[in-house]
Amino acid sequence: MNTPRRLLRLLLCLPLLAPLLSGCWDDRELNELGITSGSAYDWEDNQWKATYQVINPSSGSSGMGGSGGGSTSSPPFLTFTVKGKTIMEAIERTNLTSTREMFFSHSRITVIGKSLAMHGINQLIDMFLRKQDARETVFVFLSEGDAGNILDQLMQMTKNQGAGIQLMIEQESKLLSYYPGIRLYELAMALSSESRSAVLPEILLTGPQTMDETSEIGVTDLPSRLALGRLGVIKGDTFAGWLSQQQAFGLSFLTDTVDSATIAFASRPSVSDKLDASFILQNSTTTVRPVWAKDHYVIDVDVEGAGVLTELGSVMDLNDRKAIREMEESLEQRVLELMKGSWAEVKSLGADVTGFAVRIHRSDPKRWKQIEQEKSWDRLFQELEIRPHVSLKIERTGLSNKSFKSVQQE
Amino acid sequence: MPHNRKKSRRPSQDPIEASVPAPFLLEPSLAANLDEISRRIGDSPDIVIRHLRNEALAPLALAFIYIDGLVNADAVNQTVLQPLMDKETQGGEGHSAETAFRQVKDHLLPVGSVKESTTLEVLLNLLFEGYTLILFEGLQAALAADTAGWEKRSINEPTSQGVIRGPKEGFTENLRTGTAMLRRRLKTPDLRIEEYRIGQRTGTGIALIYLKGLASEQVLAEIRRRLEAINTDAILESNYIEEFIQDGGLTPFPTIQNTERPDAMAGGILEGQIGIIIDGTPFALLAPSTFFNFFQSSEDYYQRYDISSFLRLIRYSAFFVSMLLPALYIAVTTFHQEMLPTTLLISLAAQREGVPLPAFAEALLMELTFDVLREAGVRMPRTIGPAISIVGALVLGQAAVSAGLVSAAMVIVVSFTAISNFVIPSLAIANSIRLIRFVMMIIAATLGLFGIMSFLMVLLIHMAGLRSFGVPYLSPVAPMVPRYLKDIFIRVPLWNMNMRPKTYLGKETRRQTPDQKPQPSEGTELPSPAQPQPQGEGSA
Repeated sequence: MNTPRRLLRLLLCLPLLAPLLSGCWDDRELNELGITSGSAYDWEDNQWKATYQVINPSSGSSGMGGSGGGSTSSPPFLTFTVKGKTIMEAIERTNLTSTREMFFSHSRITVIGKSLAMHGINQLIDMFLRKQDARETVFVFLSEGDAGNILDQLMQMTKNQGAGIQLMIEQESKLLSYYPGIRLYELAMALSSESRSAVLPEILLTGPQTMDETSEIGVTDLPSRLALGRLGVIKGDTFAGWLSQQQAFGLSFLTDTVDSATIAFASRPSVSDKLDASFILQNSTTTVRPVWAKDHYVIDVDVEGAGVLTELGSVMDLNDRKAIREMEESLEQRVLELMKGSWAEVKSLGADVTGFAVRIHRSDPKRWKQIEQEKSWDRLFQELEIRPHVSLKIERTGLSNKSFKSVQQE
Repeated sequence: MPHNRKKSRRPSQDPIEASVPAPFLLEPSLAANLDEISRRIGDSPDIVIRHLRNEALAPLALAFIYIDGLVNADAVNQTVLQPLMDKETQGGEGHSAETAFRQVKDHLLPVGSVKESTTLEVLLNLLFEGYTLILFEGLQAALAADTAGWEKRSINEPTSQGVIRGPKEGFTENLRTGTAMLRRRLKTPDLRIEEYRIGQRTGTGIALIYLKGLASEQVLAEIRRRLEAINTDAILESNYIEEFIQDGGLTPFPTIQNTERPDAMAGGILEGQIGIIIDGTPFALLAPSTFFNFFQSSEDYYQRYDISSFLRLIRYSAFFVSMLLPALYIAVTTFHQEMLPTTLLISLAAQREGVPLPAFAEALLMELTFDVLREAGVRMPRTIGPAISIVGALVLGQAAVSAGLVSAAMVIVVSFTAISNFVIPSLAIANSIRLIRFVMMIIAATLGLFGIMSFLMVLLIHMAGLRSFGVPYLSPVAPMVPRYLKDIFIRVPLWNMNMRPKTYLGKETRRQTPDQKPQPSEGTELPSPAQPQPQGEGSA
């Protein structure tokens, strides 16, 4: 009587072993991983052309362990390019050329070539959202030429180029606010919103030739560098056109993405139009209010901000309240021009990257439903009018109440 | 009956019980008694039997026996030998053996404790405790005079539980010294000491120490019952008792504390715990004990409460580090690489280039190496102590990394784990974590973080179910009693700790009068020199 019961107990214990056996299936040692820090996608010969940047861990000086030692002559990352009918097919083909399993969780950037942007990027976004180890927080960039070339360029001051580019765009949007860094989920959200448009910053090489050998970064000034250029506009899922840096800056004001920014302006517009003063905008908010004006929408855009005067090139006495007011007006005028210039270009491209559609939907859902049914948004967008209003304050002027020029002239 | 099934399978004749002879009553003949004693204890050179004849005292012969080395020779000479051999001694009227016996017992022996017995077993037990036996011709009783005094270690600083500030005396191997040290600390008539003698062959003295009224009667009864149930031949150290009486045989967690410090024990007794001192070891026991007791060090109460609280939090984190760090390292590097910051991942990956072993084997290798080193350090003669650190640090740390056997990060993980383990004040729980760590590592290598979480849950459930003499192991956290948390994760100031923890007690007891927070009283405030007091107030 005892034995069958004990046997039964043992049998009951067997399923408990199952989780122990099933667990190990997806374990990967670190030295089996190809850690990708960036990827680039192009459209070539009706195929996907994907370029991956894989970090080469043993090039780091910290890697003293292991037999390889720290040879600094090996490049900090390697790239390889694969082609396929679908993106996943291309990714799978990397295993034909690479000793490591691709690991995407640490990717920082994705560069989309213009060729692909013209073809359409929906499938790419879908892959990112669907794939397990892909991160939707990668920063997305546009590239005029072959996107893969961007990933070949070595950067100074950083070994991990992908992280370096991420740092670059983060610094930029924090300090300059010309254009916002766009992460993949933000791109997906913008394209799926009522506006169906999005912007992507351009990344480009300043020189004619890629710097892709480690011996070449042994100079203090690279002949070719990575730089942020214009702002690309995507409508639907294809490329619509470029905005210049100034237009992009104006768009930042329209979309309330200004963090801090430096604005050059004419300190005494009544005397000369020369831009001879600088102002650091420290906080700014934009409120957008759509108003239905019988047959079209008018958008009230109110920009409010405050900051510090950092540079002054004309003769002025800052104790005079009127002088400050004059400068403020000049500043406001300058921002107004930026916004208007930007709006004109956006309107001509016909892509609602300002997100006005979202605002209208929120403020007036009923009419939006009607617009949607009539599919009249594109027409309405062209008829759209903006009524920008800017109010900027100079809160501090620094230590001296007079410009140095006026001190000298006394 | 189902309960008896296991017992009946055992052999009915216990070998220990079989060796215990029937009680032997003394015979009138001195020679017969001495013969029996010699037969029982053999003819060792340290047993001294001396015959004596003092006509003034007794008409017949008497003899005394003691064991050299267990008695204080001076005491034997002065308190037993001298009075018995003194010619001036007056015997009783009639000079019968009976009166001589009375005379000796009541008048002649200047010894604190004199016992009288008629059975040989009792007398032999006393003999082994250092008593001197006095046998009379023609009497079926004998006397035993306390002349105990053997070589013992002087009181030293405790080696396993050192403090910076606090008493520097530790228990010694001597039971009586231990009880005396506690008496000196707890000068109250409520202090109770009960003595037991456990172990057929060692006859080890065991003292149960508690404060009457504070210790829970149920717990006390339970401990007494378990102590009395012990039937073994030898008790050589407190762990023998610990294993025989502690709850939950199948748990890695200790449910009885051990301490080398009389002050720690006094503290425990004052909270209602029951102390057990075992003769022959400086490690005394405290029960019942909860999980959190093992993180309280006696020094917590000897320094400011803020620093004590901070240190205590550090100990809890060290507990988790010591238990989880290698497991987390394995889990994160083999399953969850996406959780690491990129730069850390790259530098870890760089270190793992060329390491031939998987992370789990690497960790196991290093952890085992450390345990070997540690064991070697304990067993090794003190004079070659520095050698082990050189071997450990240079050969196994540095060389293993540069040889590409293990990665540098793993050395950091193992050393930090090891050092964290030393932070925990109680060796008992530190050792149990050592074992859990290995289980944790195996689970992390097979199931990743998911496995670690599940195993932590299993551990928590197990601990919540554990009892130490009826006290829940996780109390007062589970079951939660917020007002008793004052001495668990942090230590509040002493003037705020008015209540004893109820967990050990039948009833809650006040420790002190409340509202003792020091404050300047109204009248005594001195006028500050910088700001002279307004004059009007003084005159009014």
